[in-house]
Amino acid sequence: MKKGKNIMIVTIGLICFILTYVIFIQFKTIEETNITEIETMTETELREKIALWKERYEETNEKLQETNETIAEYRHKKEANQEAIELLDKELLQAQIIAGETDVKGDGIVITLAQNEASELLKSYILVHLINELNSAGAEAISINDQRIINMSDIVDIYVDDIAHYILINKEKVVSPYVIKAIGDPKYLESALTTKTVGFMDMYSEYAVSLERQNNIRIPKYSSKIEIKYIDMEGEK
Amino acid sequence: MQQILHGKNDTENGLRDQVLRWKERYDKVYAELDIAEKTLENERKTSTSTDSGSIEKQERLKELNTYLGLTDVTGSGVVITVKDNTNSKFVTSNDLVHDGDLRAIVNEIKNIGADAISINGQRIVPGTVISCAGAVVQINGEPIGAPFIIEAIGSNALHNNLLRPGSFIEQYGEQISIDVKKSDNITIKKYNGVLTNKYIKNAE
Repeated sequence: MKKGKNIMIVTIGLICFILTYVIFIQFKTIEETNITEIETMTETELREKIALWKERYEETNEKLQETNETIAEYRHKKEANQEAIELLDKELLQAQIIAGETDVKGDGIVITLAQNEASELLKSYILVHLINELNSAGAEAISINDQRIINMSDIVDIYVDDIAHYILINKEKVVSPYVIKAIGDPKYLESALTTKTVGFMDMYSEYAVSLERQNNIRIPKYSSKIEIKYIDMEGEK
Repeated sequence: MQQILHGKNDTENGLRDQVLRWKERYDKVYAELDIAEKTLENERKTSTSTDSGSIEKQERLKELNTYLGLTDVTGSGVVITVKDNTNSKFVTSNDLVHDGDLRAIVNEIKNIGADAISINGQRIVPGTVISCAGAVVQINGEPIGAPFIIEAIGSNALHNNLLRPGSFIEQYGEQISIDVKKSDNITIKKYNGVLTNKYIKNAE
């Protein structure tokens, strides 16, 4: 009889513990997400938010599968050193492609902008804006007059004695007309930039010469070596 | 949870639930990826340990991943705080920080020289979008509110150069509260997403 009572006490205790634990997990999840932020969102904003996290989840999950596969491959190839080295080469190449250290090709759009004599100067911030718009439409590689845009690319205006103006991209001189190539989903890139009034092509119509979809665009690599210059890499090990 | 998330109607509550659920799933898989990447790094090391050239390649891979914003980094640089101007009697558009202003500051930092930049914890990576969605700024798809704290690890010249006469920040500082501080100990977190490529193919 007593034994049965003990079991009951232990069981109830255990259930209480589990319940408390679950409640805490719940609290923790809520805490981590900015409740006030999503509370004031409209239905459209909420749907966008769902799409964002869903996409992030899917991308990350895919990357996780890939990473696990690579781990398995390394483990499998441990005995055959040569194959493991080839795998490392493959990983390195993938990083180089994303960073901009290789020429790349693919479908996308080509935009031409030109300085119009009657208009104000076509300044660097317009090109910075365009890159932002292209990225927003999912561009995976961008170049302006064959200067590859990489993570730390800078675009600046240079004025010569207040009369002449030119632009430096990656510290290299570029002049009008500006030919901007972007690889990504051509349809999506085109429609994002040609949205009426608020799209880039309408906003800067005085400079916009053309925008066309093209297959098999080639974008050159960054012309020097991509390097970490200021972070102590020894210390990062 | 339903009580906390009292909303206008059931549809919105249902959507809020879904936001939380996807965010939770994402956080979980991201944490798993973090562990897998560490395992991969070790596996890479042991599998290619007998090859001397591989050490160099591994270091190069690490350097590129650092450049791409995929690792946490520490170093010296500047911390810039940008705020809306709330002292004006009537706050106009000119008193507010816009997405274009943040892009301009980031561009200036890149011009002077930096290895890592973040705004309110959002790492600047290839493809980062700084845009505005209504009244809020979005970076990497996430809403960011003022004050904007831009951290950059880079050149020793960053501080002086950002504040040089005629610089964007000097001109801009007349309208909006902007503060540039040197720091020797900045930690910038890695990008909280992944970089993928579906459309570009290697052409070499």
